[in-house]
Amino acid sequence: MERLKKRFSLLSAIIDALIEPPETVGYPFTKLELPETYRGAIVIDPEKCTGCGLCVRDCPAQGLELVKKSRHEFKLIHYPARCAYCGQCSISCRRKAISHSNQLVGSTSNPEALVVVLKEKEDEEQG
Amino acid sequence: MQNRISIPIGPQHPLLKEPLSMMIDISGEKVLGGSMRLGYVHRGIERLAEQRNYIQNVLLIERVCGICSHVHTTTYCYAVEALLGIEIPPRAQYIRALMCELERIHSHLLWLGILAKHVGLETIFMHAWHDRESSLDIMEAISGGRVSHAANQIGGVSFNLDKAQAEMIRSTISNLRTQVEGLLNVIETEPALHARTQGVAPVSAEMIRQYCVVGPIARASGVDIDLRRDDPLPPYDQLEFKVITHADGDAWARTLVRAQETRESLNLCDTIMRDMPDGEVLVRAPRKVPPGEAIIRSEAPRGEVFYYLRSDGSENPARVKIRTPTLSALSMIPAQLAAIQVADIPVVLAGIDLCVACADR
Repeated sequence: MERLKKRFSLLSAIIDALIEPPETVGYPFTKLELPETYRGAIVIDPEKCTGCGLCVRDCPAQGLELVKKSRHEFKLIHYPARCAYCGQCSISCRRKAISHSNQLVGSTSNPEALVVVLKEKEDEEQG
Repeated sequence: MQNRISIPIGPQHPLLKEPLSMMIDISGEKVLGGSMRLGYVHRGIERLAEQRNYIQNVLLIERVCGICSHVHTTTYCYAVEALLGIEIPPRAQYIRALMCELERIHSHLLWLGILAKHVGLETIFMHAWHDRESSLDIMEAISGGRVSHAANQIGGVSFNLDKAQAEMIRSTISNLRTQVEGLLNVIETEPALHARTQGVAPVSAEMIRQYCVVGPIARASGVDIDLRRDDPLPPYDQLEFKVITHADGDAWARTLVRAQETRESLNLCDTIMRDMPDGEVLVRAPRKVPPGEAIIRSEAPRGEVFYYLRSDGSENPARVKIRTPTLSALSMIPAQLAAIQVADIPVVLAGIDLCVACADR
């Protein structure tokens, strides 16, 4: 009897599955609910970024580039097509200027279209 | 022999989840033997690791495997920390162990689904993969990544658990336990699964030692080895758990060992959540590692993962050697294929729980 009971223990789960709604989500027509901590699109707080380049140095995927014209002029560029969304840049940043939002990054057939200039700082004396 | 024909399986084949090329010799319905070719997913990770710094390597090494990614980075980080001579905070050790156990649950349930699919039990496949989602959901919610968790940092872990997350983990584990118990009941009593796995390609303990096979396959043949108990990384030395072994060594014994290990891992998750101390999760580690060598081993879902690390004092490692459990299991396949029926080939291949990406690196 015990054996029979064990054998049919999945039966109740199967019956439940017939009644319950599907586990899958009809994305993109239904919005995905991602956890708060999800590592999605990169966001930057331009006030905090000093252009020290630690994020660029530790990025394992060459997803960030720092173009330095002079000591006070720099441009921080993000290449989403290269980015592995590993979160290392946000950990390496000592000023907590760079972080992840929990938003998915859209796809494109032209990777260059997604490239974002996270921060562009020009020399205040000149500009 | 007359009527001897060779059938190719792979590198792309519905039977295989990863690329592996096999040439199997058959005569009628009987398998005579086989040979294989590896290297289709070789990415040169060991060489790439020498060209990157220690911090970048944590993320690179996570890409060795898509299923047991966390245990690879854990072992690597412990090796770097051994060279640096730093000890990570106890809470970080517990979080690392929690992730390892969740990964073991997810890996074993994934494997159970694949085996069930190969023997024609689609219902078990669907339910096992449905249950596996729960452990992936926990890992995604706490680390931010479903497959590549990026949980480890040199010096600790990259996230801390708050009270709400801890409560979510406890309740999800509790629900998962109910689901897994239901699955285990079916596995233990399902005659179709018994008929397809019992007595298929049994492997003796002697053969296991000869081929240096580790992990659940070795334990299913009565070889009582588990690095979590035999050579524990912290905090496994403070945790109590049962090492599951079986004497038969056939596909059925492997199913039972992995299924019961899933239950044991759920218990371990509960113990870890109960005993987890408070405090910091990360200590600052220097970028340059002093010259020296370190060897660290840990128990991945498939067996022993071995890391050898040599530093020359710079920011990049001089050598990273990775040994994964699948490599030795792969070497045993031709011996296992001899004298089985053609219909049992999927059961033998699925029973090993191959991870070709790990083996090729």
